[in-house]
Amino acid sequence: MRLTCPFCGSRGLEEFTYRGDASVRRPAADASEQAWVDYVYLRDNPCGRHQELWYHGAGCRSWLVVTRDTRTHEIFDVRNARDVAVAERQTEAGKGENS
Amino acid sequence: MADQLLPVLPVKYGSLRVGGMTFEQSPLAETVSLGAFSGDGRDALVNRIHEAFGVMLPEHPRAVHTMDGRCAFLWNGPSQWLAIAEDGAGLLSRLREVCEDVCALTSQSDSRAILKLSGPDSREAASRLVPIDLHPRAFGKDHVASTLAGHIPVIMWQTDDVPTYLFLVFRSLAASLFHDFSVVLNGFSSSEMDTCV
Repeated sequence: MRLTCPFCGSRGLEEFTYRGDASVRRPAADASEQAWVDYVYLRDNPCGRHQELWYHGAGCRSWLVVTRDTRTHEIFDVRNARDVAVAERQTEAGKGENS
Repeated sequence: MADQLLPVLPVKYGSLRVGGMTFEQSPLAETVSLGAFSGDGRDALVNRIHEAFGVMLPEHPRAVHTMDGRCAFLWNGPSQWLAIAEDGAGLLSRLREVCEDVCALTSQSDSRAILKLSGPDSREAASRLVPIDLHPRAFGKDHVASTLAGHIPVIMWQTDDVPTYLFLVFRSLAASLFHDFSVVLNGFSSSEMDTCV
């Protein structure tokens, strides 16, 4: 399997480390115990497209959000995790202003 | 009385010459890492370096040289660069004056050794250890890549079209990398270069 790092280009799997589901989000500090159990312990095991975090440790040391098909290893999208987080924060801020 | 520590070369061997190729240790260099602070740090750093050194810090994995040729800046990750000058050039103190308030400056002079591979078949030889595409259309002069040589993390930098490659490697792994290249070069020699079989 190869991943196309947005900074370094196409690289082999040996340069990356898998670090789990990229779709989980930290609940609010006062969220229910169940929400925290979900966040800390429970993960889906999807058959098909999955958003996951990869770390380009042997390259540019960037965290990446990769959309991968867990059955075929087809890669649909690789984005810088920082950009994903910034875009999400802006969307949330936008929602806050509208409400 | 405290012991006086003298610099010891990371690789104890001299240069290795096989089939027109040379693999050797480059002279010790002064290396400084620059990590731009978040917010406006990146733009400010790019401007300051441009004003003081006359070069634009590269946005992609490339190296740029100052006009006098004494200093080079290498891309080393998003918003991170490595500045390299010859030993004793006072690079860190100069950078402190120029941009200390907009980026993290850390001396890497003792952290990395520089090994040099040169000669007409260097591309083929390097390809045996490095997993990236080194074809001239993909990797040319002043291209830089952070990758693995065997299992050893390196920053690889092509400095001319011969080609010559510099490998910036953690000092403690320099001897291992030197050994790996000696195996590569000798294997290269006996399998493809030597005609007297």
